[in-house]
Amino acid sequence: MDLFLEQLLNGIAIGFIYALITSGLALVYGILRILHVAHAAIYALGAYAGLGIYSITGNLFLALIVSMAACSLVGVAIEKFVYFPLLKYPPYVPLIGSIALLLGIEEVLRLVAGPYIHAFPAEIPVPGFHFGPITMSPVLVTVYLVTVIVLFGLWFLSTRTELGLAMRASSQDIQIAGSLGINTSRIISTTFIIGSSTAAVAGILVGIYFNQVYPTMGAVPAYKTLALIVVGGLGSVPGAVLASVLLGISETLLIGYANIPLPRDALAFIAMIAVLMWRPQGLLGRR
Amino acid sequence: MLMKFVRVMVAGVLILGLAAGAAFSADTVRIGALVPLTGAAAADGLSALNSLKIAVDNVNAEGGILGKRLELIYYDDRADAKEAVALAHKLIGQDRVVAVVGGSYSMPSRAVATIFQEEEIPFVAAYAVHPDVTKAGDFCFRNGFLAAVEGKAAAKVATQMLGAKRIALLYSDIDFGRTLSEGFKQYVSKNAPGVEIVYDQAYPFPEKDFKPYLSKIKEISPDLIMVNGYYFQTGPILKQAKGMGIKSMILGEEGADSPKLVEIAGPSAAEGFMIVTNLNRDDERPVVQNFIREFKGRYGFDPDMVGASAYDGLMIIVDAMNRAGTTDAKKVRDAIAATSNYNGLTGVIKGFDSEGEVVKPVQVQIIKLGEYRYFAEVDDPEVITP
Repeated sequence: MDLFLEQLLNGIAIGFIYALITSGLALVYGILRILHVAHAAIYALGAYAGLGIYSITGNLFLALIVSMAACSLVGVAIEKFVYFPLLKYPPYVPLIGSIALLLGIEEVLRLVAGPYIHAFPAEIPVPGFHFGPITMSPVLVTVYLVTVIVLFGLWFLSTRTELGLAMRASSQDIQIAGSLGINTSRIISTTFIIGSSTAAVAGILVGIYFNQVYPTMGAVPAYKTLALIVVGGLGSVPGAVLASVLLGISETLLIGYANIPLPRDALAFIAMIAVLMWRPQGLLGRR
Repeated sequence: MLMKFVRVMVAGVLILGLAAGAAFSADTVRIGALVPLTGAAAADGLSALNSLKIAVDNVNAEGGILGKRLELIYYDDRADAKEAVALAHKLIGQDRVVAVVGGSYSMPSRAVATIFQEEEIPFVAAYAVHPDVTKAGDFCFRNGFLAAVEGKAAAKVATQMLGAKRIALLYSDIDFGRTLSEGFKQYVSKNAPGVEIVYDQAYPFPEKDFKPYLSKIKEISPDLIMVNGYYFQTGPILKQAKGMGIKSMILGEEGADSPKLVEIAGPSAAEGFMIVTNLNRDDERPVVQNFIREFKGRYGFDPDMVGASAYDGLMIIVDAMNRAGTTDAKKVRDAIAATSNYNGLTGVIKGFDSEGEVVKPVQVQIIKLGEYRYFAEVDDPEVITP
């Protein structure tokens, strides 16, 4: 039982990390209908920016803020200079551009910071917890806290503010939203700012959780998150979060209790195939 | 008319350029190298290249090869087989190298080994582990250990030196991890009666979260956990095992031979961790101590076994050319095959077997105060002979 609870807590943490990376991708897909693969590179950039600022100042909060700002800037630049001019072409054209950006940013990170893995030994101002035989390390507690705060913020923003209303309207039909007086170009930029800042938070959290920051850290998330937004329902942020948490838990429990011969990463794609067969609109997507 | 003129001009410039290149190459010995400098394997490629540069400078400082300057021509193969094949043809056709060091991973090295074999150019793979690399033919050699050799050596360390009775195996799900574990199990079933493998599990290569595996291992509570994987896999395992309060001894292999391991695992989790590898930092022979000092001085951090293996890969070729007194491919091939008790950076190389596999002692290193130190050496012929 203790083992099960420990596994469950770890599984939810992994799911939360997936959720942080995937929600930004779902936001962008919702508004532009683009598979923003380069989102994973922004996540890696966020980890590097955070690590850079942290090793200079030793202030984790400052590192978080600067990294979010840097990622927002790059995210908006990608939207303005790469995606916007490509929107008039079929969707695979911006996708190709996005893949090129992913590889390009990876190599820029390598050129600037070197190919070696950097450790991220952050001092975390959060205590660990002991519930009987269950231990939650400070890092694990941080992952829970930060994810809950960010996800709550996203929920509040999109359901309780006018900006959220405009974002949802634009994601339903951007032309009609525009004709009703919503400044859609500003809404698109705002979406990229929110998505990219979330990716920055995820990058820093993952960097600390696994104590590793390296140029190709976005490679696995780049494809796994694609499967996750399909499972959740393309463009649905709550769906993406639900799919992420479910995947994190099932991956962890399957490895812990069944010696499956399949690699862990295959699970996301099995789920994607299953969803496409039986519920093509995704867990929480609309038809 | 204008186009034709331009074409003639371009052709002329190209021919002149080639002629200049050929004239220049006459007083140098050109040895080629393939190293992954971009993409996921870039860290290992840079280690290899950095060490190769030291080797080239050492050779040239001591008068070069056969009175000529050694020139290293290297390309980035991205650890990609398709890329490597094109670059191998470039090394042969354009650069006319006389021998090649393989400073890359198994997939590209296997692919190019057959090309160098066909063109009869001596090829020494520095640290690629796949058996097929040397099976390409008699022009192909390997300076790293076969996974099976390393697995047997690790099993000897675990069962005889550390006295483990109940052992858990956790390995990266790639050819290397699986073959090493097979070698480990073979040794245990043949030479260590009463020792039990209580857990046997592969994890996918990009894995970062080892807690599901470690929870299970914690429950089983083995004497020793044999972890086969690279430093970016084994490092997190050490860190997470420590965090979960696992008390078992942990033994790893050459993939974990990097100063980065301690950084990733954290000093307290890394302390006392052991590996089987080919670089002994406490080896007092000048070739080892000079290299470590030079590497650290130039690049600001400690060398790893990938770099050391690449260094030896090149030096084995240089040594063979000096003994053969020529750069003629067949004679160099014969001289490499006849290598005996060569004073290498990665140990005294007893020689190569008929397959082109190196025979040298396996080093056992332990982390003390955050650095790899000598623990033991395995040199039983039945373990280290492939």
